[in-house]
Amino acid sequence: MDDLDLLKEDWKKQEKNLPHLSYDDLYKMIWKKSSSIVKWIFIISILEFFLGAFLNILLADKDYWDNLEKFEIKDFIIGTYIVSYLITFYFIFKFYKNYRRISTTDSASTLMKNILKTRKTVKYYIGYILISTALVTLASFYLMLRHHALTTTSGENMSFDTTQWFIFIGGTLIALAVLLGVVWLIYRVIYGILLKRLLKNYKELKKLEME
Amino acid sequence: MDKELEHQFVTNLEKHQNIAHKICRIYTNDKDAHNDLFQEITIQLWKAYPKFRGDSKFSTWMYRVALNTAITLYRKKKRRIRTQDYDTVHFKIKAEEYNDEVEQHLKLMYDAVRQLNDIDKALVFLYLEDKNYAEISDTLGITEVNARVKMNRVKTKLKNLINP
Repeated sequence: MDDLDLLKEDWKKQEKNLPHLSYDDLYKMIWKKSSSIVKWIFIISILEFFLGAFLNILLADKDYWDNLEKFEIKDFIIGTYIVSYLITFYFIFKFYKNYRRISTTDSASTLMKNILKTRKTVKYYIGYILISTALVTLASFYLMLRHHALTTTSGENMSFDTTQWFIFIGGTLIALAVLLGVVWLIYRVIYGILLKRLLKNYKELKKLEME
Repeated sequence: MDKELEHQFVTNLEKHQNIAHKICRIYTNDKDAHNDLFQEITIQLWKAYPKFRGDSKFSTWMYRVALNTAITLYRKKKRRIRTQDYDTVHFKIKAEEYNDEVEQHLKLMYDAVRQLNDIDKALVFLYLEDKNYAEISDTLGITEVNARVKMNRVKTKLKNLINP
């Protein structure tokens, strides 16, 4: 007899040793709070979506707008705001659509695929935020410098020589890269903690199809 | 949600709760974890219940949702205190039913199953529950051929775990 069949025989005998909960116990249980990863993915993704918008509002005080006016890049920034909100809404819509598709009644592999897809939308969103932040920062920097060069009379002690320019631009780029890198790293850690087991199981399930 | 639906659901669940308990046996190592997973399965079943149309059997539907919860949705909690292991409970009860040799072998088998990965455990569970390959492939979302190949590999894995 096969080992597994021996186990099967015992498995059936063990049935009488299983715990048994009463109707009342079960009734109470259905109202308890879930702690499934889907719930966590939903909460964390929503936080990530709104963190970007929240930071925008927090940083954009009156001084900020006055400065933008002074450097004549207010229109540029307003334009990027409108575009970025449109794109953010698109991502949220996409996320919501994928999220709704997650169903425990699907087969294991479909369920896993849909969860990964939902999370991927957020991944692209974070990627978009990082890249667009870098581009907008660099563009406004360029616009500010150009404006500065136009309004400063040459020869004043405000002007830089080549080495100073090099240090200035290099320093800014490094600071920007470090800042965005840290955000990406934090994101990857959260992502990793949430989905490590799921990814492993999904690969395991799909292994044969790829062989 | 109306009372009628609640009543219908809990009645069905009470009748078929063994399915969930058995999944907890395979996927957890102690009583606390068992209760934890059982609760999450119950919550997920209830959440999915409005979509249960009754065109499949409650038990068939329950296998799928419960297994999905164990493999995919459930997040293991970190525990400080380890409560009594299953093995001691398990083997005390049935001591009189087998001779020592068979019992020892079964213990090794159960230990080996517990060392398998989540997907292999699902295969073993469905096999122990007398599911055919069509049902196994449908539940896991893989082809029937794959299910067969995987099952053979699991058998080999188990053999190697028992006789290293």
